[in-house]
Amino acid sequence: MQRSLSFEIFRYAAIFTFLALSLIPTIWMISMAFKPIAEWQASGADLTWWPENPTLDNFRFIFGESGSDLIVALERTAGRPILASLLAATFGTLIAMVAGTSAAYGLSRFGAGGNLPLALIQLRIFPPMAVMIPVMIMWAFLGLIDTWYGLALIYGIVTMPFSFWLMKTFFDDMPREIEDAALVEGCSRWRVFLKITLPMMRPALASSALFVFILNWSDYLIALLLTTRDWVTIPVYMASLSSSMTGQLYGAKAALGLIAAVPPVIMGIAIQKQLVRGLTFGALKE
Amino acid sequence: MTDMTTNDMGATASPQDAAVPGGSEEKRLGLWLTLPAQLLVIFIALFPILMQVYISLTDWSPLDGIPWYRAYELWIGLLNYADLANDPRFWSAMWRTCIVMAICVPVQFLLGLGLAILFVDDFPGRRVLYSTILVPMMVVPAVAGYMFFMLFQSGGPVNDILSFFAGRPVTIAWLSDPDLALFATIVSDIWQWTPLMFLILLAGMVSVPQDQQMAAVLLGASWWRRFRTIVLPRMKTIIIIAVAIRVIENFKVFDNFYIMTGGGPGVATETISIYIYKVTQQELIWGYVAAIALAILIVLSVVSALAIKKLRSA
Repeated sequence: MQRSLSFEIFRYAAIFTFLALSLIPTIWMISMAFKPIAEWQASGADLTWWPENPTLDNFRFIFGESGSDLIVALERTAGRPILASLLAATFGTLIAMVAGTSAAYGLSRFGAGGNLPLALIQLRIFPPMAVMIPVMIMWAFLGLIDTWYGLALIYGIVTMPFSFWLMKTFFDDMPREIEDAALVEGCSRWRVFLKITLPMMRPALASSALFVFILNWSDYLIALLLTTRDWVTIPVYMASLSSSMTGQLYGAKAALGLIAAVPPVIMGIAIQKQLVRGLTFGALKE
Repeated sequence: MTDMTTNDMGATASPQDAAVPGGSEEKRLGLWLTLPAQLLVIFIALFPILMQVYISLTDWSPLDGIPWYRAYELWIGLLNYADLANDPRFWSAMWRTCIVMAICVPVQFLLGLGLAILFVDDFPGRRVLYSTILVPMMVVPAVAGYMFFMLFQSGGPVNDILSFFAGRPVTIAWLSDPDLALFATIVSDIWQWTPLMFLILLAGMVSVPQDQQMAAVLLGASWWRRFRTIVLPRMKTIIIIAVAIRVIENFKVFDNFYIMTGGGPGVATETISIYIYKVTQQELIWGYVAAIALAILIVLSVVSALAIKKLRSA
């Protein structure tokens, strides 16, 4: 539709105003991550929006490299928490994808699953905080507290509703003719699923897995309750980047925050076409 | 679950089913495929909820030195639920969560809708600007919490911007004033989740067919009239879904609030999730926590079941 020039001007003005405000926190984090310690706490006239002496010291510091001019060395470096986040999110995604995809196929093709779809939506609606007492007791009993696989297991369950609904809409959309042809050829149902359907669904599987990974990677509360020391994840570990002795280690926090923020932003932009489908449980496909 | 098992047993037992090519095989495969998901749901829902009911009827705490299954030694019946009804901190956390929701959701909706209107047709730079707008919702919420904690320090950038416009140094202690702290946490939530509203509403708006709108243009209908009578009514379902998603997520809100303020100063930003977390971790009366959690679960399941039913029939 043809729009007037004044509308076009208004459009750009409005979008850029919104973006200017919305990008402040991100810009601040990026800038802080490269600031030397002298600029961390500067305020008033000394406050700098962009580092005057950009440095990589903050990144060196969180990985335990000495020689930077920061006051104290860290008791524990960021390497282990990053590994914990990666392992828990990756294997959690694997669990969610395997269980969710197969259940979605079972429902989409054979109508199996009974009340599963509704149960999965309700699982998503419940605040995780409201089932954490029994989960903490169960995890302690099973020896899963403070392990990456214990975290991966609960992540897998919590994000399974998303993989299930996403894959279900993809299976519903997939034409059945190809599967039917293979069945006529004499393939068993299992073989059709494994050798024909799943390979055809590769792009859908990839974008669903990325979506689920972002959700797992973003968790804070569950890791806060189920990990204590060895396998704390990045967001939980970030709290330890401050103490009564050192105060807030702003630069170090921003550096680690940046490391934590980059993967989901890249993945999210890569799958932006599927985001709507995932977020609305497949109710809307773009 | 139960009728599924009977289905399967019926299928294996009767030879007629096997005579239909693929019939029994399909049933069994369907069962096997859904089994892992069913087991995981039972593992995380059924068993914990039964456990929760049991613990909520006792005064058990992990510090008591007895395992949870012997919690019956501390049986107190429905006393926890009576306490809950008279717990001012619980009700104020509930009320605060509702206020947060009542502010965040409409603001996110209006901002998202406004942006969606600007993005509905093509213009130079649309793709790049669209992706840039989405960035906040992909930042890990806990990291966003740490970022906003820095932004709202009294010597931080928010005050710096305000100083610039005020023409004199502004040093507001955002996070140590009860009202301002709540405001700051709400701002962080709006910042993070407006893009989600935008994303969903735009997808809904784009899918409204163009022909009717074109006809209305030819008839000389104003933009507002077309928007109100053609576009909005067709977006009804998607608006309900977008708002419902944010209401649900807002009810659970924890990460950025807890990181920015720890629920404080005092209990000024204590939402329901933060309240439960604090009772769990600091006061350690798990019998009581189980009662709170269960009460919330019951209310939510009833409300959500009704909502889903209504949405399906609509």
